[in-house]
Amino acid sequence: MQLRHVEGDLWEIPRQGRMRVPGRVYSVGPPAPDDQALQQVANVAHLPGILRFSLAMPDIHWGYGFPIGGVAAVDAEHGAISPGGVGYDINCGVRVITTALDEAVVRASLHAVTAQLYRDIPTGVGASRAIPKLSAPELDEVLSQGARWAVKRGFSAAADDAERCEEGGRLAGADPQAVSDRARQRGADQVGTLGSGNHFLEVDRIAEIYDPATAEAFGLLPGRVAIQVHSGSRGLGYQVCDEFLAELTPRLASFGPDYAQLPDRQLACAPVNSEVGRRYLGAMQAAANYAWANRQVMTGLTVRALRHALHLSERELGARLLYDVCHNVAKHEEHEVDGVQRRVLVHRKGATRAFGPGDPRLPAAYRETGQPVLIPGDMGRYSYVLAGTARAMRDTFGSSCHGAGRLMSRGEALRRGRGRSISRELAARGIEVISRGKKTLAEEMSEAYKDVAQVVAVMDRSGISRLVARLEPMGVIKG
Amino acid sequence: MRYSLPQPYEDLGHTADVGLRVRGATAEEALARLALALGGLLCGDAPAPVVTEARLSVAGGPGLAGTAVGLLRELLYRFATERLLPAEVEVHRAGEAGAEATVGFARYDPERHAEGTDVKAVTWHQARLEPEGEAWVGQVVLDI
Repeated sequence: MQLRHVEGDLWEIPRQGRMRVPGRVYSVGPPAPDDQALQQVANVAHLPGILRFSLAMPDIHWGYGFPIGGVAAVDAEHGAISPGGVGYDINCGVRVITTALDEAVVRASLHAVTAQLYRDIPTGVGASRAIPKLSAPELDEVLSQGARWAVKRGFSAAADDAERCEEGGRLAGADPQAVSDRARQRGADQVGTLGSGNHFLEVDRIAEIYDPATAEAFGLLPGRVAIQVHSGSRGLGYQVCDEFLAELTPRLASFGPDYAQLPDRQLACAPVNSEVGRRYLGAMQAAANYAWANRQVMTGLTVRALRHALHLSERELGARLLYDVCHNVAKHEEHEVDGVQRRVLVHRKGATRAFGPGDPRLPAAYRETGQPVLIPGDMGRYSYVLAGTARAMRDTFGSSCHGAGRLMSRGEALRRGRGRSISRELAARGIEVISRGKKTLAEEMSEAYKDVAQVVAVMDRSGISRLVARLEPMGVIKG
Repeated sequence: MRYSLPQPYEDLGHTADVGLRVRGATAEEALARLALALGGLLCGDAPAPVVTEARLSVAGGPGLAGTAVGLLRELLYRFATERLLPAEVEVHRAGEAGAEATVGFARYDPERHAEGTDVKAVTWHQARLEPEGEAWVGQVVLDI
């Protein structure tokens, strides 16, 4: 793969062959030219209607069709929409809930807190029944209302939780009728469940502040405790993606030569304005709403668990949603392209929206600072809160990285974890971890991931997002 | 011929997910072993006695790889909605038009199968069901 150094941590894959735009890659050090993820960046550059660049964030790794850590904006009328550009776990995302609790208070009862969270929030294989199974009309409400459905039912940190989610916790174009019976069946009893793999719920301490003024605006105070929740649309979102990939893969050629000549069949996509394109968009938005409802119910369950374990009033706990961001989604947004304001469809697959200061789409509380950009790391080290910037609006369609990115396969992690107790190793460092199985802990150990500090440093140096604070884990629950 | 768990498989070493590769004397055997490899992953290779049996028919394509993906997608759907995992598999027919199989299902037990992997999707990425030398190779990457 041919690469050209643009500046700092940014490299370009020059346009060649049928690529419609160049690729641009933010990278921790020079990208390895034989990295297969770079070929995927170049493949994405073939998408009909793609604008400016096929982008990759510094946590890029090999995905299905699109790389994880990829961003592609296409023309909203004539471009292509790709389920592979969103990913299987539609609106997998993360939220941070701040509290009024000092680290020492939680540290003194850490086992009770972590165990209560593990009891109250279903985790692991096929986790279900955090709340009673939803009827078909209730599921329709979840699919159309998102986080607001859960807030209305009392699952919240505070009354304004939904406003503190990207897009207000709801995509208005959702079409519940486009979600199949099979997807509904997978999702009916999973609202409020964490799942497994890299999903987690963490009790964090706010370890370091880099930007005191912005941290204060975000409600992040050193030594206080915050909660981080990472999960998505569970089986429902997977089923939606799976069905549309199965429908689109054999039909690519029917959309015309631009589609027939795509270099990878996993770029399965359709014209945005085709019947199937609109149907996918409606189903995907409904699944995104499901994910917001899922994280919102878990927020309510977390608040109850903390109050119960620590015997606190609502006021003493002082829980407040900082923000909730999507990592896997395609959304219509307005962006400036070549000096002209245009409506585009931005695919972010393993990438975070990072809108800068002054953007009217942000909640009033963050309009001066830029939006909170929440970047989880691994369960043994740290996570970061950053802020969106004007530079991101100019260079990356308002997008940033989404996490550390894996360094080794799960099999390799299991081999390295053999004979070790990951939970005891973490306990020795003051981190209590509870999970369903030992295998997950080995697969998810710190060494299996890149150092997220290096990833966010690239975003900070490049001006794409600004470092605000570092969070460090005290208690972790995993599936 | 009916095959049963445990089913060893070759780990493709995918960075984020799990890639499975198995071999068989025929396309049907390779597909049966691939289905069982999925079952073994779901139950963490713990004992999984058969509790019910079903004859499945799935549409195929594109190519034999698409048929393999189709059968495993159906099995994963059964797991996600009924907590049933494949423990014995006989593939009667595997072609580009589709596959037919008789599957003995075990019931997922959260305690016994605590080390099982939560497979969320069967991807088309690097999917194969094709001859290689004198054997057949079945391969899929599972999103977890």
